Amino acid sequence: MKVLVAVKRVIDYNVKVRVKPDNTGVDLANVKMAMNPFCEIAVEEAVRLKEKGIASEIVVVSIGPKASQEQIRTALALGADRGIHVETDEEVQSLEAAKLLKGVVEKEEPKMVIMGKQSIDTDNNQTGQMLAALMGWGQGTFASEVAVDGEKVNVTREVDGGLMTVGLKLPAVVTTDLRLNEPRYASLPNIMKAKKKPLESVAPADLGVEVAPRLSTLKVEAPKQREAGVKVEDVAELVDKLKNEAKVI
Amino acid sequence: MTRDPIGLALNSMNRLAGSSWLDRLGIRRSVEWLAYSGTRTGFRTLSVAGKQFKRARNVLPRQRLPAKRPPDLFDLTLDDDQRMIVDTLAGFADDVIRPAAGDADEKGQLPESIRTQAMELGLTLYAVPAEFGGVAETRSPVTSALVAEELARGDLAIAAALLAPFSVAQSITRWGSAEQQSTYLPAFCDDEPPMATIALDEAQPLFDPAKPATTARRQGDGYVLTGEKTGVIMAASSDLFLVSARLDDGKPRLFLVPRGTEGLSYQDDPAMGLRAAQTARLRLKQVQVPSDALLGDDDFDFDAFLDYASILRCGLAVGTARAVQDYVIPYCNEREAFGEPISHRQSVAFMIANMAIETDSMRLMTWRAASRAEAGGPFSREARLARLLCNDKAMEIGTNGVQLLGGHGFVKEHPVERWYRDLRSIATQFGGAHA
Repeated sequence: MKVLVAVKRVIDYNVKVRVKPDNTGVDLANVKMAMNPFCEIAVEEAVRLKEKGIASEIVVVSIGPKASQEQIRTALALGADRGIHVETDEEVQSLEAAKLLKGVVEKEEPKMVIMGKQSIDTDNNQTGQMLAALMGWGQGTFASEVAVDGEKVNVTREVDGGLMTVGLKLPAVVTTDLRLNEPRYASLPNIMKAKKKPLESVAPADLGVEVAPRLSTLKVEAPKQREAGVKVEDVAELVDKLKNEAKVI
Repeated sequence: MTRDPIGLALNSMNRLAGSSWLDRLGIRRSVEWLAYSGTRTGFRTLSVAGKQFKRARNVLPRQRLPAKRPPDLFDLTLDDDQRMIVDTLAGFADDVIRPAAGDADEKGQLPESIRTQAMELGLTLYAVPAEFGGVAETRSPVTSALVAEELARGDLAIAAALLAPFSVAQSITRWGSAEQQSTYLPAFCDDEPPMATIALDEAQPLFDPAKPATTARRQGDGYVLTGEKTGVIMAASSDLFLVSARLDDGKPRLFLVPRGTEGLSYQDDPAMGLRAAQTARLRLKQVQVPSDALLGDDDFDFDAFLDYASILRCGLAVGTARAVQDYVIPYCNEREAFGEPISHRQSVAFMIANMAIETDSMRLMTWRAASRAEAGGPFSREARLARLLCNDKAMEIGTNGVQLLGGHGFVKEHPVERWYRDLRSIATQFGGAHA
């Protein structure tokens, strides 16, 4: 079966982000970019499905500027077979991303779409759900275990208070949580082979989608710095502060 | 109280203007005029415009000069392969090598699991051409330096141990005869590749790697090797040794000596640093090897061999120097003394700034040498300059790293003391002092 994996280029999770002085967004100049960690887990899961003989082909897709091809290449080095790059310099929001992915899914007709539950830049946690709704497919979100069983997939989800297992009819959308797997390192030979794997570039217009942001960002601010605590002399002072200053007792 | 001359002058003029004797003498007007013209001429140089600017009538389109990048200067942009290799190895260094390094140093042993994982990464395959089962497509000293740097950011001793077979395979790829390549290179691409190492240094006064004391005497159809090598990385577990020796005509050459050859023995010789690389002495006592053990066809170049080795050592130095830097910066920002972070003290801040300048210099000089080597041009001068810089600065950065941590630098709770010990090996290993 063919598996489609969507990956996103985001600021590397090790980077300490800085807000632009004019508060319009986060400073991206000279910042190390990488594949969204949840997307890495999605790629790893697809590769494992292929190693088990369940997946026959892994197609990896990314939406974004030309540089997003780096993340596609990384996915190819990790074991994906072929890449599709939807090239746009516009800001792509969740719904547009889902519509673009729908265009790719309709063309590729995969049996399963695996993607990260959210990207660590905007933290929306929407695109997978939106794609499933647009396609009219089942969805298994926050997956911590994916077990394909013939024409069905059982997805164990991490929910508040425990685990929930849903059985989905294929084709379906699966979004990955942190504990699904631990991604491997790309081996040097696979990195060398990655550049020989096909990577196709398409424009949003080819997929019949116009990329225009529906939401506008009003302001981006850095979280307030935590202030230093105070030391109290005795219990009486502590009680007094809790009562009158913090007003918690 | 203003102390500058203009301030003093203004002060005295104000007193003059305020005094009553001017009025009594009836000379206020003339004195005030004098004072006024005095201040005017005094300030004149600032108030007279040299040239008038008229508002432009025809506004031309905005211009910006385009960036110019001459292709003959070396390029610092990593290509796709290099970027991915660096990313992969950076993760490997952070998640696998670094956490194991302290223990490996303590035990003086390369952890087997790290060797296995490095094999899975296919490190050595990168040194072998596709014809023999590897993946190397071009000469790639730049990528090799990047690989050394990233691994050594995790730990220098482990990086040196992992790169030992890599360097041997690279040497065979660079200079081996068809027979030597067909014999040894496919083995490096096996599921269980051999451990291999280079034996170059000797315990000789003023040791010059180009003039080894180990001799290779011609005898019948082969050679007889005699001598003793020091600082041989992973000697105890190596299956293949690349040994430098002097031929009868005085020229230095390299010999491929497999483990088990009669007369070959080793003795553990643990050092101050590189402990996980298990350095040892290698003794060659009348070791008889066939003539095809002599590495290289007619294109062999011993100087280039030393220079390639230097580039790799420099890469290792840069990586560990970066580790030191990345460790001391947050430490100095968090460690408080006298009510503020110690990084507010200039003696600390300047030391860190120098560390950053030196690490970058080491890196740039290494990359320049490597990039010239990659382009196939002469690179001996560049490699040796880089090596000399790295010899000095690697030690200095190690020392300063320990210094910046104060009392904490001295204890094993922090890895900086290990890096200090390891960084000292840059100048001593592989004939470093003779670059």
